[in-house]
Amino acid sequence: MAKKNLKIIGTPVPKHDAKIRVTGEAVYGHDIKLPGMLYGAILRTEHPHATFTIDVSAAKKLPGVICVITADDVDTNNISYKRDHPILKKEEVNCIRDEIAAVAAETKEIAEKALKLIKVKYKIKKGIYEPLDALKSGAPLINKFSSGKFEHKNIAEKFYYEHGNIEEQRKKSMVVVKRTFTLPRMTHACLGTSNITAHYNKTTGKLLLYSSTQVPFLYQRDMAHALKMNPSDIRIIQPVIGGGFGSKLDMYPFEPICALLSIKTGRPVQILYSRHEEFLASPTRQPMTIEIEAGADKDGNFTFRDVNVIKDNGAYTSWGATTPFVIMQAFSSLYTLPACRFSATAIYTNNVFAGSFRGYGNPQATFALERVIDLLADKLGMDKAQIRIKNANRPGETTGQGLFFETCGHQDCLQTVIKKAGKKRKSENNRYRRGMGYASMIHVGGGAKIYRSDGCGTTIKIDPYGYCTIISGSNEIGQGSETVLAMIAAEELGISLDKIKVINTDTDIKPWDVGVHASRTSFVAGNSLLGAIRILKEKLNLKAGELLQEKSTSFNYEDGFIKTKSKQIALDKVVREMHFTLPNELAIASYFYEPSSQFQDKGFKGNVSGTYAFASQAIEVEVDTYTGNVRVLTVHVAQDVGKVLNPLLLDGQIHGGVLQGVGYALTEELIFKEGYLLNPNFHNYKLLTAADTPDIHFYPVETHDKQGPYGAKGVGEAPLIPTAAAIANAVCDALQIEMLELPITPERVLVALKNKNNK
Amino acid sequence: MDFSVVSPQNLSQLRNAIRTLQRKPYRIGAGYTDLLMELRKSDTSDLTVINLAQINDNGLSHIKSLVNHVHIGAMVTATSICMNDDIARRFPTLQQAAANLASTQIRNVATIGGNLCTASPSGDMACAIVALKAHCVLMNVDGKKRVVPVVDFFTGPRTTCLKKNEFLYKIILPRNHKQTQHIHSGFIKVGTRNAMECSVVSLAYHIQVEESGYVIDAGIGIGASAPTIRFAEKAALNLIGKNMQNFTDENRNEFAKKVLTYASPISDVRATSWYRKEVLYNISKSVLV
Amino acid sequence: MEVSFNLNGEKVKCKINPTISLLELLREEMGLTGTKPGCNEGECGACTVLIDGISVNACLYPAINIHGKELVTIEGLVTAEGKLDEVQQAMVKHGAVQCGFCTSGMVMNIKAMQRNLEHAHHVPGENIRVQPDRKNIMKWLEGNLCRCTGYVKIIDAAEEVLNKNKI
Repeated sequence: MAKKNLKIIGTPVPKHDAKIRVTGEAVYGHDIKLPGMLYGAILRTEHPHATFTIDVSAAKKLPGVICVITADDVDTNNISYKRDHPILKKEEVNCIRDEIAAVAAETKEIAEKALKLIKVKYKIKKGIYEPLDALKSGAPLINKFSSGKFEHKNIAEKFYYEHGNIEEQRKKSMVVVKRTFTLPRMTHACLGTSNITAHYNKTTGKLLLYSSTQVPFLYQRDMAHALKMNPSDIRIIQPVIGGGFGSKLDMYPFEPICALLSIKTGRPVQILYSRHEEFLASPTRQPMTIEIEAGADKDGNFTFRDVNVIKDNGAYTSWGATTPFVIMQAFSSLYTLPACRFSATAIYTNNVFAGSFRGYGNPQATFALERVIDLLADKLGMDKAQIRIKNANRPGETTGQGLFFETCGHQDCLQTVIKKAGKKRKSENNRYRRGMGYASMIHVGGGAKIYRSDGCGTTIKIDPYGYCTIISGSNEIGQGSETVLAMIAAEELGISLDKIKVINTDTDIKPWDVGVHASRTSFVAGNSLLGAIRILKEKLNLKAGELLQEKSTSFNYEDGFIKTKSKQIALDKVVREMHFTLPNELAIASYFYEPSSQFQDKGFKGNVSGTYAFASQAIEVEVDTYTGNVRVLTVHVAQDVGKVLNPLLLDGQIHGGVLQGVGYALTEELIFKEGYLLNPNFHNYKLLTAADTPDIHFYPVETHDKQGPYGAKGVGEAPLIPTAAAIANAVCDALQIEMLELPITPERVLVALKNKNNK
Repeated sequence: MDFSVVSPQNLSQLRNAIRTLQRKPYRIGAGYTDLLMELRKSDTSDLTVINLAQINDNGLSHIKSLVNHVHIGAMVTATSICMNDDIARRFPTLQQAAANLASTQIRNVATIGGNLCTASPSGDMACAIVALKAHCVLMNVDGKKRVVPVVDFFTGPRTTCLKKNEFLYKIILPRNHKQTQHIHSGFIKVGTRNAMECSVVSLAYHIQVEESGYVIDAGIGIGASAPTIRFAEKAALNLIGKNMQNFTDENRNEFAKKVLTYASPISDVRATSWYRKEVLYNISKSVLV
Repeated sequence: MEVSFNLNGEKVKCKINPTISLLELLREEMGLTGTKPGCNEGECGACTVLIDGISVNACLYPAINIHGKELVTIEGLVTAEGKLDEVQQAMVKHGAVQCGFCTSGMVMNIKAMQRNLEHAHHVPGENIRVQPDRKNIMKWLEGNLCRCTGYVKIIDAAEEVLNKNKI
């Protein structure tokens, strides 16, 4: 059990690795330059759907080109969890990202030139760009590796879930609302573009990859499968990662392609995406339409939700297809609900595929759900704040899906933001209209048991100088996990922060972990570290007891000393005594933590996370009715974080998440027309700037969940999940309009106003 | 990229450079905020870039406040325009257009000459320059100058009246009238974000008002609304003789309708033609507060 | 062709291909990788450097034009003894750094605003000084995209440094 009187935990400790990041010394994948390194580049199709022939002979002849590969030159397995994605495409392309050839050359310029010399003849085919068109009779098979296990060959994945009696609840309903919402393709737009450096050693047969993956151990296995290698012959080192947000949760073709170029040439090869390529070829948030029917009884109690989700799967499958795991959780369990029916279908099209993105389907679901709650309140003539408070989840609740809330701050969160936000300010004049919107969210807060293990391993050691090294399976993607781990060790072992090192970037060294996702790292890696510390302390206590001639095994670890009330001994001295005197033992311990969560059954029921996070936001906006521009004035965020581990880093997660949520709500969308991407640049894909940042007020709610380290829950994804929903509610409140899609662009606002005035 | 570069150090070297390239493709590089991107996307094997950055010439790189005019050299950056007191006080439309261009880093290098010569229909400084009824001074390889009204400088989307043997030397802003007591001048830029925007629609207005409140002169420029930036002449003329204090809704609508007659916007990835017109109409109304 | 300039306080000379950008010169020719390539199109500000004290996107700056100028990159801010510049210290203290890819450019642009304040040149007819209030800081940083932090802590850090000498 972690200690009670905390000195370090809960304080604003600056990021452990901030210094190397503010000085430009941090080495990102972009900065790696190995001796003899070649530069790889990928030729992608020019058309979303076509058959093609390819001639690489001229490229091969270009001086400085070392290797050119096409599908004919490689022997690989398909990638993706569905194994439906060939690394290099042969004879046919199915979406605008498709990789058809790759080169490795002495310089970037030569590699680029070589791509231009590859002659491709396309025979353009009519593609399918609307999911439902792919299910029409006579629609061609889009992905020939489709599992075919569903009623239509163009269905990639299906989910069905229900609890309670929908028909009974429908009868109890005084009001029912039905709407269909459309959600866009948002992209991660990490500031550091995708990159990989591969180094294959022909003599040893070992492959070294410098990769920004968020899931190194799953990636190692996937890479081995793709290349038909032994996973343990592949070593993955993560350089400093220039942003993750879920984008690096899957392996994409450029990564095995880079490995193949290195295997073929025996030289290190680097592939670095341009910004254009990043927009075109990295994954997106899963686009979807959500049809939802929901009811409430005369008192405003929610009765049922009946939801059908259609997802555009793109031409291949990535994690976007599995977002219903999370989507259904929002519909089944956010606010107490007697009955829910949910189905989701992912359908192949000739569009690009979606991956995982911070929130994992939850922002989409929450948008639809929270919009409908406003509409139910309107129909009932109920206050929008009160209807939410009335239905909010409570501690001790087990939801229809089997999620158990040992602690639950939903009520607190709602009441806090409603109170803090107060009444919306009056609109100053006819042109600018003010609106207030509320939304809540539920998300896993203690990992998510979707893989065979949701665990994390840690080895901790103390050296003879009293310095501590934490070797953690977890990953740092900028969120500050190294800092939190160092803080935990400092707290428990009484070692100052500058004497703590965190090693977490090398699969040859670090113990297994499932990856950085699902807001799990502080929770799972934190618990894992606490477990390792407990074991290590048992060893240290024994030795300290012996040296201090103290029978008690209860010691305080403070300021580099192991102490009792009357005696103390320096920690480094104890370690030296352990190492150098009989029976000569290392001050080292390992622990593997597995959360207490359960696997879900075939009906998706079960307590899938160690704990659950809740959050509410109240957002005030001002809409310019002349231009349709929405200005977010203030964002009030209350979040059940369990326990604040580090307020500085927590704030950072909240602010960053909220602004991503504002982008999702208002400006961000990859725009495709018939499979072609129209805005592959920061000029037209509009990330918000410093000048767009609203006032963000954050109120942490501490519920002290005994499952979490010091009571903490996962926090990373939650801040962006309710933001778009609350903004949409605020805009609709301001203008008395309906908003059925995101982003709420100025043009969509003016169209909605026009439609309202024409009625 | 494999273009070649010449870097003249003074005006006569610049004229010589242009002269020697009369039969070859060349581009002029000033702030490079557009040019470098364009060169990266195209085949540049025969191209020469004439680099203006190293020229030492006051006419080209300074703002000069004279009695009847303000001269702005083609190489003056957006930042210099933002920071110029004379421009900020007497030509707010231009100051605002410069201040809202892209970002600090871009404004530090982007030049007014580049903004004009790119001839983008959405050029911000160019739009303000149109509203100010400025003139462009073009110089040819013999050092001969030609002065054209800025509206005539633009001949189409991304085309200008510059001949191959000419370059843009400076811009001349006429001073406000002596009787002008008050200027109602500004730049309205419509985009999705608060910053880093390329105008979806823009409107520059510069209205000179005499002591009693009557409009004695007006200039209205509209951007991103037509193949080139347009001077909304009828709308501007419509204001003259009216009193700024007593505009009615009817006046505002009439003015906005007149502005709109100059608009023939396209639909693109940023907005539809419908939206651009709708917004242009609305913001035009807002000019007459 | 050859360019000579002052790089982080030292005179340097190098032979360059006239078509390359300053960003390429720094990262690929000189091995100074602290300046980051975020977009190569002047939209993200990750490659911001100071040229004669003002902030510029290195990706859109022809390397040839650095000739005769004074260039400061992120590598030039730390003292010889390894002490961080006050802007860097404030960024660390305020938790303004997450993934860090935008950080070099952010630091350099805040540095430019500081230079602007300190050097208020008083050139006749020019009003160079920008007041370091929150609104102006937000505007000054509009060309530096960050995907992690929501900018709040970065603005906090800038605000503290830029108002340090105020009474």
